Amino acid sequence: MPGVAFVAHCLLNQNSKTHGGARCPGVYSPLVDELRTRGWRIEQMPCPELAFTGLHRFWAVREQLDTTAYRRHCRRLAGAVAGAIEVHVRRGDDVIVVGIEGSPSMGVHVTSSDPERGGRPEWPDGSAELSPGSGIFMDELVAELTARGIEAPRAMGISHQLPDHDPVAERAALATLMEG
Amino acid sequence: MDTDARGFKVALVQSELVNPPAGGLDALAVLEQAGWGAIQLPASDYPDEVADPLLEQAAEQAEEFVRNGYRLAVVGRRRGLDTALARYGLAEPQAIEPESAEELRDFLEQAAH
Repeated sequence: MPGVAFVAHCLLNQNSKTHGGARCPGVYSPLVDELRTRGWRIEQMPCPELAFTGLHRFWAVREQLDTTAYRRHCRRLAGAVAGAIEVHVRRGDDVIVVGIEGSPSMGVHVTSSDPERGGRPEWPDGSAELSPGSGIFMDELVAELTARGIEAPRAMGISHQLPDHDPVAERAALATLMEG
Repeated sequence: MDTDARGFKVALVQSELVNPPAGGLDALAVLEQAGWGAIQLPASDYPDEVADPLLEQAAEQAEEFVRNGYRLAVVGRRRGLDTALARYGLAEPQAIEPESAEELRDFLEQAAH
């Protein structure tokens, strides 16, 4: 039975990406199509970095964003999203979360980390900052759901910014996630 | 990455046009074809205590786009949106309550310039 997918903001709005990261003008259709083909309702989550560090932000790793103020910001956003998830869970809807792998904020299984990063931004492309773990917003979303007595939904992340991105495998992973 | 494909056009979209009923207007498909991104507004089936913070966040994000010169439009309607936008200094963006994909397509084409 179709459920509700809470998706990362940039899935519907690539304009929110850090400069250099937008794959298309607006709606990133491959995964949207997969969700809609199966009749799932889409709910867009906010982009935590957009409202905090803005459209001119640099690409960042977790250590650069992991401040008390950013955590507070993420908790505010996560509280609103958790409220919506709670509505659906209480109704008995199946809920999944689709984040962004490699993101310091929206990573589900892969985030980015480099304790040395800071100062003048002159590190080379291909730096090995990808690392296992979740992003800061995802941490806070799970914490907020737990505080509400709600089990964290099944989740995955879009992998289009990872070096081994495979669009076919990504769609298959989403289909598997929806099937539970 | 050397290229960036963003369209610099963002629409605040009524949730029921993102998740249309069978045969209903699929605004997301039209937005995609026209090169617009979407900020989804809270669905009308959410209680106010759930919808209000989501509406606030939508307005907050819209303000960041407008502040940086992106085009902003409203597709459909959402109670409380005008008030939320006004709190961020965004008064009356171009708006449409489309009855057809063609009407929405024409609107987006005009709103892009």
